Amino acid sequence: MGRWEDEDCGTVTVKEFCRYAAAVDDVDYLRRARAREAAGEPVEAPPLFLAATMSWEDGPAEEELRPDGLAARESPCTQGLPVRLVHGGQSVRLTRAPLAGTRVTASRALVSAERKHGRSGDFVLLGLTTRYTSPDGTELTAVDETVVVLDVLRKGATT
Amino acid sequence: MNSPAAVGDVCPPRRYTHSRVQLFRFGAVSWNSHRIHYDAEFAASEGFSDVVVQSTLHGQTLTRYALEWAGSDACLESVSWRNVATAVAGEPLTWSATVRTVAPCDSGVRVTLDVSVLRDVGAPCVTGHVDLTCRAARTSP
Repeated sequence: MGRWEDEDCGTVTVKEFCRYAAAVDDVDYLRRARAREAAGEPVEAPPLFLAATMSWEDGPAEEELRPDGLAARESPCTQGLPVRLVHGGQSVRLTRAPLAGTRVTASRALVSAERKHGRSGDFVLLGLTTRYTSPDGTELTAVDETVVVLDVLRKGATT
Repeated sequence: MNSPAAVGDVCPPRRYTHSRVQLFRFGAVSWNSHRIHYDAEFAASEGFSDVVVQSTLHGQTLTRYALEWAGSDACLESVSWRNVATAVAGEPLTWSATVRTVAPCDSGVRVTLDVSVLRDVGAPCVTGHVDLTCRAARTSP
């Protein structure tokens, strides 16, 4: 709890921005971004590009994924445990849009863990904070999110 | 936004669905390999009728429609949301928003929207708010 870990997100590119935009059918962004690139102008990332990316690791081989398909890095504090993880929600603050060509660092920490009791049983609510910064330390985006940890036998919870 | 926003204004709703292909592509670009988002058999084993819409895709949709409503010179300041129920591929969804606050700021006007994603039965699956800044006294985009 409270231990910050840095992850190198690499140098973000117009290609990554445009693939993200294509996946959400934002063709207007695609046109604008490629036009700016062609004109030699800076290209900003889609607003939630950093916040939506689950991991910046290369990722493990398939045999090392959990049965639900997640990598260990994406199941904080629960590695090896027979639990289900669902996303409770997210709060994203945008300070400065990252530009293509910027090297980005993500610093993440577990900031809270609470045992809760709901209608269908006990669960644990994890709070995670991630801060994305540029090489000069400028904050680009900050994300607070909650992850709900459920017993494997429970079905039909939120996303 | 056809005129300067006022508290209580209701934004025109947007109806949409997320296809299985979109969920797969969004999972790929966001490096989210949770099987619940692309493996219908696995999703069924978890009690869902189809593959599940990613939480971050809901956030993306909340934001995008808010920005489209506000016009091309609007800028996203923050967005937050809470998942209250699951939505699946092919399910009719509706983006709904109401202006909660309007306040002057250095760059113009700061507008906060209360936003929801509603399922076809009208119950929300996501609730939250979006903060935008818009140039003052702007009109239709």
